[in-house]
Amino acid sequence: MSEASEKQKAMKLAQEAAASRVNDRSRDIGEFVPAPDDDIIVCRCEEVTKGEIRKAVHDGMWTVTEVRRYLRTGMGLCQGQTCGRLVKGIIARELGISPALLEPATSRVPMRPLEMHIFANEEKEE
Amino acid sequence: MKRYDLVVVGAGPSGLSAAIEAAGRGMHVIVFDENEKPGGQLFKQIHKFFGSKEHKARVRGFRIGQELLEEAGRTGVEVCLRATVIGLYQDHELVVRIGDAIEHVKGDTIIIATGASENMVTFEGWTLPGVIGAGAAQTLMNLHGVLPGKRVLMLGSGNVGLVVSYQLMQCGCEVAAVADAAPHIGGYGVHAAKIARCGVPFYLSHTIKKAEGTDHVTGVEIAQVDEHFQFIPGTEKHFDVDTICIAVGLSPMSQLLKMAGARMADDPKKGGQVPVCGRFGATSLPGVFTAGDVAGIEEASSAMIEGRMAGAAAAAYLGFMNEDACEKREKQLTDSLSELRQGMFAPQNKGKQLTVTDEGIPLSKTLLTKGYVSDEEIEAFPGFTHRVGVHPVIECTQNIPCNPCQDVCPKNCISIGDQITALPKVAGGAECVGCGMCVASCSGQAIFLVDEDKGDGTAEVTIPYEFLPLPAQGTVGTALSRSGQPLCRASVVQIRSGKAFDKTNLLTMSVPKEFAMRARFFRADKEAAK
Amino acid sequence: MSERIAEHPILGKIEKGRTVKFTFDGKELEGCEGEPIAAALKVNGVMVHRYTKKTHQPRGIFCAIGRCTDCVMVVDGVPNIRTCITPLREGMNVQTQYGVSPLTFEEQAEKYSR
Repeated sequence: MSEASEKQKAMKLAQEAAASRVNDRSRDIGEFVPAPDDDIIVCRCEEVTKGEIRKAVHDGMWTVTEVRRYLRTGMGLCQGQTCGRLVKGIIARELGISPALLEPATSRVPMRPLEMHIFANEEKEE
Repeated sequence: MKRYDLVVVGAGPSGLSAAIEAAGRGMHVIVFDENEKPGGQLFKQIHKFFGSKEHKARVRGFRIGQELLEEAGRTGVEVCLRATVIGLYQDHELVVRIGDAIEHVKGDTIIIATGASENMVTFEGWTLPGVIGAGAAQTLMNLHGVLPGKRVLMLGSGNVGLVVSYQLMQCGCEVAAVADAAPHIGGYGVHAAKIARCGVPFYLSHTIKKAEGTDHVTGVEIAQVDEHFQFIPGTEKHFDVDTICIAVGLSPMSQLLKMAGARMADDPKKGGQVPVCGRFGATSLPGVFTAGDVAGIEEASSAMIEGRMAGAAAAAYLGFMNEDACEKREKQLTDSLSELRQGMFAPQNKGKQLTVTDEGIPLSKTLLTKGYVSDEEIEAFPGFTHRVGVHPVIECTQNIPCNPCQDVCPKNCISIGDQITALPKVAGGAECVGCGMCVASCSGQAIFLVDEDKGDGTAEVTIPYEFLPLPAQGTVGTALSRSGQPLCRASVVQIRSGKAFDKTNLLTMSVPKEFAMRARFFRADKEAAK
Repeated sequence: MSERIAEHPILGKIEKGRTVKFTFDGKELEGCEGEPIAAALKVNGVMVHRYTKKTHQPRGIFCAIGRCTDCVMVVDGVPNIRTCITPLREGMNVQTQYGVSPLTFEEQAEKYSR
């Protein structure tokens, strides 16, 4: 095996080990400790604060999707365009892992805010 | 359902380049873009680009945008604007919102060139009106001709933060300071030097503590951070500003690819979630390619080459180009791209803190922390020469891929050599005629013409000048140092504004000869400016 | 207050549409046809586009390219219009958005409590 692929394999193993930490729900991440910047808004559309997101992690929401469903972060008009990365970073820090290991929120249609009447208005075939 | 040989999503530099390359091979191509106008961010880039001739170096970004649009028109590319691609499904089906209707379109090949979105940081008051993205400032001033504010604090010293700071000053805003949580300036030193000599202070290892104001920004407080990015009490500094600009990096907008099921990876070096790509932008989905920032944050020049690559790859995929021709074309493009991906800011050097140039010269420490090269440090660089008579003084101190200065000098005074990132040298023996082409062509505005001794105790320094009002000949004022400090009295002896200079005016000022090698900016007296 | 850039050192004179009148919260203002509503408001010194639903905080221009949706307002009676990418037209009725309504929070409370 070449050195490069050896290195890749080692990296993959390390990633898997770390990824299991993401899912290891038996792990104790400690109590929620209030911080002075907890009342800063993170999700601008749904007005969700940093403290609420940190608390949610301690309530058992360990993925971006769970926090999203729990608090509506990234579920507003802009669909997480601004806060997606910030929320991910806050969850990761609370879990003590690298943000790169967290799966980002699901991407789905529509990619931009859209009124329902437009969404339902299929262009007729000529 | 309409069907195309190639559907490109995004009419920015990479998307347009991809479309042009593919259409040139006979493909039926459509480009969708959600905006009113095509060009992506190119039309907001009013500075001259780096690179070599083939990368359109020393051409301003918006002019490159115009050229791309003309080329797209010539090659028969259809550009569909106000068309938002809201989904990418299996079997190459795209769902596009056009006006008040939804259309389904099929592309036998697809190139995703959706670019990037701005990152943000949170601080107390960051939701106040007046806190804006650096991109918003560019959009307001360079597209809509509206001042983003009167007095601005810039957060972020990467190229975006530096370039936008300069552009803010060009349209008449005052930049109170540039702050960055990192201990070193992230962007090109020459971009930093351009604003430092106008007197803009840099605060490294500083970030915003709070935006002040009730209904909109009236001020900002920054403070120093330690190595763990925690505020150090007692280091707070206040600025009266009406606008806070955030330029803290970009993230790839790769959601369409993720939705379509392309293999993705989180790569911090590329700016976040990016598709895993094979050669020439091929994603894990057959026939779906990608180019530009969406596949990894870089800049417009490399995005255009990546676009060309993806366009050629799509053409080969559908048989519009045979393997041989494709191979040849990709080789050519790969060489051009690797030329841009060299030097100390190359992707492979991201995160590294280099200490010497390729030539072995110690990098300027003041440049990395204060935005200018100190008087002592500058002497070490090969472009900084002392001569009798008028001669170029090149204050280019970092290895970046750029060589127009070598090309434009009619007397071959300046040499860089084959290695495009090498620091420019002033050739011995060659005779400078003072034409100023090098001064106007340097995208980093790092070249000056200096006549160190006019024989009467004065010296003449020619600087690039891109501000209004343009001082008239005879205007008196103050010469500023590289750090923007007032040095001495100065008067304008000549203003040159040739067409070849492309809006970079050459201002020649007369200063006492002891300041010849230090005077690098001119500020007219208030009364004279009126 | 913000202003238009009379002449730009690189771009020269920036071409704009003809001057048109529009109303902002009942006041008559002027802007250039075709420019984003947000640009016209900025020139007129309007910084606050809306007040948020939960905490009633002011918001204005943030990304200026239609992504962040912070600059939404009620335009011609329709709420949530991204003013940074919606071109200004003669006679437009632009209103500050409170939550998702052009009525102030006090007016909303009164209207819906009855």
